[in-house]
Amino acid sequence: MYPLRPILKTYYDSLEDGKVLGMKCQDCGKVVWPPLPTCQDCGSYNLDWIEMGDEAIIDEIRFEDSSVGGDYTFRKADEFFTEKDPYCVSVGHWPNGSHQFHAALYGVTEENKDDLIAKLPLKAKVHLIQLNGGFKSVGFELEDVEAK
Amino acid sequence: MMKQQFARPVSVIGTSSLPQRSFDDPKMAGLSPYELWADACHQAMDDAHVKPKDIDKVVYSQFANFITMGGVMAPVGSLEEWAGLAGKPITHIEQACAGGYIAFTEAVNSVASGQYDIVLVAGLENPKHFNSRNQPAYKLKPIKEYDNGWWSPGRVLFDTAYTRFDGVSDNLLTEEQGKHYIKHYGITEGELDDTYNSMAMNLRYNASHNPRALMHERYEDMAKKAGYDDPLEYMRSEHNPKITQYIRKSGSVLHNMEAGAIVVCSADIAKKYSDHPIQVIDDATVSNTTRYPFNFHQMNVDVRDNLYKKHPGIKGSDFDLMITTVMTSGEQLDSAEVFGYLPEGEGYKYELEGKTRFDAEKPINPHGGDISFGHGFGCAGVCMLGEAILQMRGEAGGSQVPKPVNKCLVRGMGGGHTTVGIILEDQN
Repeated sequence: MYPLRPILKTYYDSLEDGKVLGMKCQDCGKVVWPPLPTCQDCGSYNLDWIEMGDEAIIDEIRFEDSSVGGDYTFRKADEFFTEKDPYCVSVGHWPNGSHQFHAALYGVTEENKDDLIAKLPLKAKVHLIQLNGGFKSVGFELEDVEAK
Repeated sequence: MMKQQFARPVSVIGTSSLPQRSFDDPKMAGLSPYELWADACHQAMDDAHVKPKDIDKVVYSQFANFITMGGVMAPVGSLEEWAGLAGKPITHIEQACAGGYIAFTEAVNSVASGQYDIVLVAGLENPKHFNSRNQPAYKLKPIKEYDNGWWSPGRVLFDTAYTRFDGVSDNLLTEEQGKHYIKHYGITEGELDDTYNSMAMNLRYNASHNPRALMHERYEDMAKKAGYDDPLEYMRSEHNPKITQYIRKSGSVLHNMEAGAIVVCSADIAKKYSDHPIQVIDDATVSNTTRYPFNFHQMNVDVRDNLYKKHPGIKGSDFDLMITTVMTSGEQLDSAEVFGYLPEGEGYKYELEGKTRFDAEKPINPHGGDISFGHGFGCAGVCMLGEAILQMRGEAGGSQVPKPVNKCLVRGMGGGHTTVGIILEDQN
């Protein structure tokens, strides 16, 4: 029987405690993040919570000039961020994850981006982003840059 | 001839051909979306030689009505009244900019199922203006004055579970096709820029020949006026600024008012109404989420596989024409190669050499595409399919492809979450 339970609330409550949760399929072992109650590979609803850890692997850095507004079709996604620190877009994966994701990445500048891109893939720490709707979202930050 | 993949074969017997419009145009003064809706529906019915009483069902696509049309949800009854269709069954499709294509497939399936014989598929959208709840529909205001603040059609496409783009800009979706191309086919960022700029010039060239397109001035002429001998140099200049890392202004969708309609019917009665019916061979659709990298590209792959697997031996190069959504430049190049209409890894050369123009070797979007013809959200698919029908009947006017268009591939995308492929054939 499908186990009806809060998924979104559990995930976002956990972020308030500094923990990033995903879900692991108990039938095929695949991990889905952000969490979903159905396995994206085998379709099972037999999934349990799993901690994703505090570090991910950044596979691609997609440096964008956040000052470029374009027309209204294109909007920067930091519209709801309480802090407007510069960041760039990245593609990464969790060490225990099953697929790549898009995420905001802090610590990349015009000056260091070429050097960082040359070192990819890179480890990055979770950087929780405060949104003005009263919740947190998961981004990442390159601190002491270390090639994986 | 290709084999129709429906339990009951379906034909297109009528289409509207309204020009793309803007309510900023003084010629539109006093009009509202309702008049244009009625115009499109009657035009398609006249073209199909049917009357409203002959229509068994309506499928209609619109997605911004809750914002732009007086805050109304699914104005199905009133829209039926305006076209003389009150009392008919009607289905409202809201699937972002894929809605028009999905509405078409729904109309086709309504006939293919045997439940209805003649179905009208129609779309309506007014992206850049709105009317307030307390005023009639002709009292239009620029969307920037929308009471609840500026709304972003890019942003509203993403749900608020996880896909609200917490940190990932809307730009990324369309950038990825460029990233993918550079990564896999080894061209430089500069070559990609020239490819996208050439594509914009090719599409504007097409639109300059199409009286139904919104934009007609060629970039080559604009370059001359600005003092440039080389149009590509103009396209690389501040006259055509980058709005993302790869996409320039000329490579971004052009929103405008659209109304369109198409009539489909059971193939066995099509000749009774039209001397040139177009057969609907097949369709395939996939939806996915934008949370995963390269989603746009993957949806093209998935639709191609689902569509082609039912037609053994089919190749993209079998098609005489491809019409494909081009919200931004990368989409046209990626889809044309994934579907095999252009050779993989070589498509950029076709754009650079102008071979995708309507009168060239491999025409793509002879009407001008979403970035020069225009784009009206949920109606876009209906208008794109209408342009395909006109091409196949040899009635597209100045932008008519100068060779028989017997097999046409129409590929549409909307919302970053839905991609559709439709095969049409002239079997007369």
